[in-house]
Amino acid sequence: MELRQPSSAEEAVGLLGNGHVALAGGTEIVPLLRDGLLRADALIDIRRAVPRGIHGTTIGAGTTLAELEVDPGIPVVLREACRLAASPQLRAMGSIGGNLLQATRCWYWRLDFPCYLHGGDRCHAKDGRHDEHAIFGNDVCASAHPSDVAAALLALGTMLRTTARELPLAELYRLPTTDDPQTTTLADDELILELEVPIPEASVYLKAMDRQRWSFPIVGVAAARTAGEVRLGLAGVAPVPWTLTSVDDLDRATPLPGTAYKLPIARALVARALRAVATG
Amino acid sequence: MADAPQRARGEAQYTADVLLPGMLHAALLRSPHAYARVKKIDVRRALEAPGVHAAVGPEDVEALTDEPGFFGAPVAAIAANTVEQARAALELIDVEWEPLEPLLDPDEAVRRGQLTDEPRRNERGDFERALADADVVVEGEYRTQVVLHNPLETHQSVCRWEGDTLEIYTSTQYIWGIRSRVAKQLGVEPDNVRVVCNYMGGGFGAKNDPGEYTYVAAELARRTGRPVKCALTRREENLAAGNRNATIQRLTVGARSDGTITALGGEFVNAVGWDGWIAPTDGPMQTLYHCENVRTVTYGAKINTAPMKAFRAPGYVEGTFGLECLLDELAARLDVDPLELRRKNYAHSSNERPYSSKNLMECYRRAEPHWERRHELRTRSDSTWKYGAGLASQIWYGGGGPPSYAWTRVGSDGRITVITAMQDIGTGTRTAMAQIAAEELGVPLDRVRVELGDSARGPFASISAGSSTTPSMGPAVRAAAADAKRQIIEIAAQRHHLEERVLDISDGNVVSADGNLSSPLEEIVGLLENAQILGKGARGPNPTGMQVLTFGVQVAEVAVDVETGEVRVLRVAAIHDVGRVINPLGASSQVEGGIIQGIGHTLSEQRLLDPATGTVLTQSLDAYRLPTIADVPEIVCELIDKPDEHLTNLGSKGLGEPPIVPIAAAIANAIRDATGADIHSLPITREEMLRALEAAKQKQRGAPAAV
Ligand SMILES: Cc1cc2nc3c(=O)[nH]c(=O)nc-3n(C[C@H](O)[C@H](O)[C@H](O)COP(=O)(O)OP(=O)(O)OC[C@H]3O[C@@H](n4cnc5c(N)ncnc54)[C@H](O)[C@@H]3O)c2cc1C
Ligand code: SF4
Repeated sequence: MELRQPSSAEEAVGLLGNGHVALAGGTEIVPLLRDGLLRADALIDIRRAVPRGIHGTTIGAGTTLAELEVDPGIPVVLREACRLAASPQLRAMGSIGGNLLQATRCWYWRLDFPCYLHGGDRCHAKDGRHDEHAIFGNDVCASAHPSDVAAALLALGTMLRTTARELPLAELYRLPTTDDPQTTTLADDELILELEVPIPEASVYLKAMDRQRWSFPIVGVAAARTAGEVRLGLAGVAPVPWTLTSVDDLDRATPLPGTAYKLPIARALVARALRAVATG
Repeated sequence: MADAPQRARGEAQYTADVLLPGMLHAALLRSPHAYARVKKIDVRRALEAPGVHAAVGPEDVEALTDEPGFFGAPVAAIAANTVEQARAALELIDVEWEPLEPLLDPDEAVRRGQLTDEPRRNERGDFERALADADVVVEGEYRTQVVLHNPLETHQSVCRWEGDTLEIYTSTQYIWGIRSRVAKQLGVEPDNVRVVCNYMGGGFGAKNDPGEYTYVAAELARRTGRPVKCALTRREENLAAGNRNATIQRLTVGARSDGTITALGGEFVNAVGWDGWIAPTDGPMQTLYHCENVRTVTYGAKINTAPMKAFRAPGYVEGTFGLECLLDELAARLDVDPLELRRKNYAHSSNERPYSSKNLMECYRRAEPHWERRHELRTRSDSTWKYGAGLASQIWYGGGGPPSYAWTRVGSDGRITVITAMQDIGTGTRTAMAQIAAEELGVPLDRVRVELGDSARGPFASISAGSSTTPSMGPAVRAAAADAKRQIIEIAAQRHHLEERVLDISDGNVVSADGNLSSPLEEIVGLLENAQILGKGARGPNPTGMQVLTFGVQVAEVAVDVETGEVRVLRVAAIHDVGRVINPLGASSQVEGGIIQGIGHTLSEQRLLDPATGTVLTQSLDAYRLPTIADVPEIVCELIDKPDEHLTNLGSKGLGEPPIVPIAAAIANAIRDATGADIHSLPITREEMLRALEAAKQKQRGAPAAV
């Protein structure tokens, strides 16, 4: 397999697509290639093509989670989401851009079962074990989005700048359907360049895990109060990062038999998060 | 640690480090079905792949199968120049599978009579009658899950034929067992099998046997005339390298209102898997307490899952969880203190044979201050976080036994080498053996070197399983050191015209009782020039008619978030009675390791299967959740350290397994103390914790509890 190292975003975009895949920290893509879940003719190392670093409210997509978790200028919700993600080794390599684009951890998908998300015609998890799966948006695919970081960025009302457009983070994602398994709207030859992250008045990230560290979220709840308005972002509850407008939205959850336990956890964490960012 | 520098400098050679000239690498084709027949297998395309030297299938190696009974069963293997080439060639093996319907439910297997063995029944007294007469009866169904050993070093061997001698470098807990098993299987003389294991990266019971990787490497080495390494990947380790089997335990206790236990009954279903043996899940119920009427039956369910293997106190870990939770539910029903309940039912003399030593009462006494802490602990509870403490007792084997041998060699420089073909599985064995020899010979520890790990360079040594390394090998080493010492004193007596009985060796000097002689050891043995003093020692028998067992109690403190089901273990006090303690640092790290591994078993680890196909879903370590250092509580380790007077010249029992035995029940009982919720199933995931809390709420409201 070929490795290309373009030095600008334009050059990178020119190389991407047609089996040429972007490589940032590699913490996600290398395992996917190794396990045969992703095929690539060439890897395009984008680390010189994508900005890295924090400038006021602008975060380069190449910034690592390790850099974010210690920066006092970064809102608490994002710092915490980074700090509680993965392991120190992974955070030292993993970029925020790559984090937003990580694939599902659904074990059936990771073992290459021919499910909807692999272009097949059923969801193996729903019929089988789905202990770690979704309580929202699970009509077709029931996977649970693993990104703590995306939940935090949703709550913050983040805008993305890519090589092709500017968009609110929520528009980066789409629920997979039976005829289109994509979970993002990013084109093959489109790169995320920067994130514009408003500074909130208060924010918090709460994460339920099945051990104290190095665990994907069972439920992650991010809350941020920006200009007096509180926004919520949830990880681990739907195939994409999920927004709630209020705690009452939880009444509309559609848990599976094996994921019903996530609902009381989400309720408790949402209530706590709302208390934590409440005024006064 | 005698070998700390080698380990720290990376010089310690593990099997994973073995690189022989011309060595090939093997990869295994494993069944993608939990149950299937191989109708046709054709390796011709694979043999033509780049770098490939040989391939073997079910007809070539008995450990490979054409009727795989579990997902990941080994079917064929390839040897190639690199492991990548071998793995790539696996894809080119053409197999026609006939998938069969897998049976995965252990209860269903018992109903169908699909068992690995005859059910094991144990009965004394009249259980039914005692139950009818009991003032109070408590019943419960407990479940434990499949957990995996996951040693740091995966299962692996390197095999090389030198003429008709087979050299096996292998990661093993039993050098001599590998030697005899492989010799028998291949039909060669045991002396023509040399087994080497210098350093070893953990086994926990899963590395007692040769395993398919050894047989495959041996056969591929024979066919290619080259050394062949067969090392399991981490994923294979999570599929088919052994496991602690799941259990279903239906338990009953009957007691008088004063807390005297009068009846104990248990039906245990061990989900053994496609192969394996029935671990003693009934053991704790049979042996932990004094009770005249006990009836147990244990079934070994043969199902289409990977075979179980011994795993750190097999059976007792699972059985202690059930029994000790049941006992606390009894204590709650009777409103008696759980520690008092255990004292009240203390087994002073064994139900069959006397104990060689038993200091469990002393363990309970030493537990008191830890147990007292619960009053203060509970006051920390608020509406969200509830605090509590729980305890559980431990009983297990650990006496070791003969035969085991060791030699000592004292050179004219006064340095001592202990030689025995045992293995150090990472428990600090080299250090402990050096300590025993140094103390017996009266020399500083740094004068002693331990040579082990090679069946061609030392006498027979015991298995490192069943907590037997120190109690089996220690006495042999001590006897070998005493034999050398006797010879040294004989020489000193002749040289100095003194009687042997007034001479001793102390701090490296041969000394006389009156203090007139103090001569460095090397001066005495230096007289010998090239001659050497050779001592030999054998492990004596265990005391006849006695049971040699280990005992202990653990007190766990937990906090539970009753809204989200989060469980945090805050502190564990572990008090164990294992006879004489050789190395307190090594001992406490065994206790810590056992508790940490047990916390994984209790809270986060489980091997999950797809219920339709039997596919293992948790193949990698991000899906199979071992505890991390952040999950480790404060651990307080106390050892009674009283030599067992009846046991060997050393009075030491083993400690590898005892610490993992009571931890799950201690945590579950602490959760009940904190929240009132009865835990019946491991691991205590958020889901199980929230279920138990909900059931407790329903029970309080008087409604029938949801199960
Ligand atoms: C064991 C493990 C545990 C983890 N635990 C957590 C956790 O608890 N919480 C959590 O939130 N995350 C977790 N992660 C995810 C981890 O944070 C991500 O793997 C990491 O951030 C990805 O970044 P990377 O730079 O390594 O991406 P890469 O692996 O390089 O790339 C990932 C994907 O993103 C694409 N990509 C990368 N950058 C860009 C860009 N700028 N524009 C367009 N496409 C791009 C790549 O083409 C690829 O498809 C875990 C990962 C692992 C392996
Ligand atoms: S949850 Fe989604 S990824 Fe998992 S099996 Fe179902 S469709 Fe596939």
